[in-house]
Amino acid sequence: MKSLFSSIGSWLDERLGLSETLAPVMGHQVPRDTASWWYVFGSATLVLFALQVVTGICLALVYAPAANEAWASLEWLNYQQPLGWFLRALHGWGSNFMVGMMTVHMIQVFLFGAWKYPRELTWLVGVFLFLCTLGMAFTGQIMRFDQDAYWGLGIGVSMLARTPLVGPYLVKLLVGGPIIGAETLSRFFALHVFVVPGLLIGLVVVHLVLVLRLGINEWPMPGRLVDRETYREKYEELVQADGVPFFPDAAKRDIVFAGVTILAVIACAAIFGPMGPNGVPDPTLIRTVPRPDFFFLSLFAAFALLPPWMETVLILTAPVVGIVALLAMPFLFGLGEKSWKARPMSVLLVVLALVILVTLTRLGITSPWSPDMDAWSADPTPVRFLEGRTPLEMRGASVLQAKQCRNCHSLGGEGGERGPALDDVATRLTRDQLIRQVIQGGGNMPAYGRNLSPAEVTALVSFLETLHPANQPPARDASRPAAGARPPA
Amino acid sequence: MTSRPGSSLLARTLAAAIACAAIAGCDSLPGKPREADRPIRPSEVTDFAALWGTNCAGCHGADGDRGSSTPLANPVYLASATDAAIRGATADGIPGTSMPAFATSRGGLLTDQQIDLLVQGMRSRWGKPVSPTPPGIDDATAGDPGRGAAVFAARCASCHGQDGAGGPKAGSVVDPDYLQLVSDRALRAATIAGRPDFGMPDWRGESGREPLDAGQVADVVAWMASKRPAPIVATAPAAVAPAHAANPAAAQPTTTRNDHVP
Repeated sequence: MKSLFSSIGSWLDERLGLSETLAPVMGHQVPRDTASWWYVFGSATLVLFALQVVTGICLALVYAPAANEAWASLEWLNYQQPLGWFLRALHGWGSNFMVGMMTVHMIQVFLFGAWKYPRELTWLVGVFLFLCTLGMAFTGQIMRFDQDAYWGLGIGVSMLARTPLVGPYLVKLLVGGPIIGAETLSRFFALHVFVVPGLLIGLVVVHLVLVLRLGINEWPMPGRLVDRETYREKYEELVQADGVPFFPDAAKRDIVFAGVTILAVIACAAIFGPMGPNGVPDPTLIRTVPRPDFFFLSLFAAFALLPPWMETVLILTAPVVGIVALLAMPFLFGLGEKSWKARPMSVLLVVLALVILVTLTRLGITSPWSPDMDAWSADPTPVRFLEGRTPLEMRGASVLQAKQCRNCHSLGGEGGERGPALDDVATRLTRDQLIRQVIQGGGNMPAYGRNLSPAEVTALVSFLETLHPANQPPARDASRPAAGARPPA
Repeated sequence: MTSRPGSSLLARTLAAAIACAAIAGCDSLPGKPREADRPIRPSEVTDFAALWGTNCAGCHGADGDRGSSTPLANPVYLASATDAAIRGATADGIPGTSMPAFATSRGGLLTDQQIDLLVQGMRSRWGKPVSPTPPGIDDATAGDPGRGAAVFAARCASCHGQDGAGGPKAGSVVDPDYLQLVSDRALRAATIAGRPDFGMPDWRGESGREPLDAGQVADVVAWMASKRPAPIVATAPAAVAPAHAANPAAAQPTTTRNDHVP
């Protein structure tokens, strides 16, 4: 058996010359320091991409990229096809890991100065690889044609439509019409399985050729400055003096780490399962709380929190500015210090970016600005607020529910977080202030004067006045006793 | 070719066993989507607990009682109210009160079938025989306010106060704002079915006393309703009336509001 394989191998090798080409590639010398656990993120991203290609092809065997069938074919994978759910989970978690791993790789490259002379082009290609990966993530979210996908696409397309002059044409090109329709999913399917992966594969090849041609970035040392005249000579010297063959010395860590990464994807897929699909993508279903996938939660939060006047300006300019900054970076700062130890501003920049990303993602998960549209009918008034209340106060509690106050104001920790919690509102506002606030609104609250009858206002405010802790008296209007006035009956 | 047939068979058997174990095991992995989590259209939800929890729990309580509005997990209420009235109130709401319309035909989100399921679910979960048979909540016989005042003084005043304006154990039932927010049917429901969840007795009163009869209930409700201020503008919405006409059963609860105002 062995001899058969080896004879086929040598027959092929004689004709293709594989060992002549591959042996120098595998065995090329790299600086000893780069055989490090810090240099494994790029190869792990590539292995994750390979996993995505394989699982993606398997999914494409079943998936029906038509607006009326896509959701059903995903349901079929989840519930009928043996292990179909696991395949979907692998592809979904693979995409999460790929975006995460690529981000880590990018941060490592940034901090280690690997983007400086002569590796500017490698960085440029890397930036486009990152954009393509985000493109895969977004189009992949749309492949999962459910309510999240539908509304997420709606938001993406609305942003695109804000482009001056060409906005409507771009929208038509992307979704095949002015709105999401029958052609939309086909276009995104083509993008997700042909266009963007094709770009990715081409860019990966260029990226790898550049890494081989220019050598792996040496371990940066503070004080060892990059100089256009001398850098390449010095790098050669370093590799000659203290180099190790890429395979196996450096590559063994890549292999181990990539293996662990794949195992982690499998574990996540097995434990947490596939993402969705949630409800059918039917825009007439209004009881839905669409959320983007985690890589876009930060954007979701940022858009929700932007003041309206900034929206168009920021949506149209911020991505351009960000991408141009990433692309221009190696040309503006391509020489000098490489080590992050000597580049405090770069470290601060990474920390700042991560803090913003994590904060916005966290906000995106909780989205306190969104009303909880089911709270009024689904979240019961906590019983402790109802015990010992008068009939009028009980009616007030019902008004609070029925007029959907709970959708924005929580009681007992349940309900919306858009407005303040009402558990102890009586300690903050007097009766008069409560009436004024309910009728006139203000401070981001709509006025309810026209939506409530006088009796409803009285009942509601009577109930709100009871909302204070037993050991804390309600707010008192100091002017009443001073004026000798009696409180209203 | 060179391997021994015995070891090859063993290896194949082992591989097959591992594959079977893996596939069988994968089927019980925690990530496998469960049938129960399968998303369905809101209009296809037929589970009573889910329907109640999303639509009714807010006001009527998570378990059908201890909410701000009339408790439905109350056998007396269920024994006394008709299915048609409960269904009508759910579908069309009760104008003038906080009860909104839930039927899709009235701008709500529940199908007629789901409303039927809710009514049946309440009966099967919370209904049980009550002895003696309570007066009908949906029996809108006019009462006499004068006699009602006497009934109130005898049976209700110990908690709600002599004039009904609030007593040691319970608040005012003659507050004009309160009365504007409840239908006469709700007053009857409170009188007949009580609020056992918050300690108010039903029409039988405290133990050892004679239950109120239907006439006494009508009288005391008429007395409370007589304290309700006349509406400033005519509220009976004429535009809504034809919709009821097609469905007399549904119209019942909506027309009981103010039906005894002198």
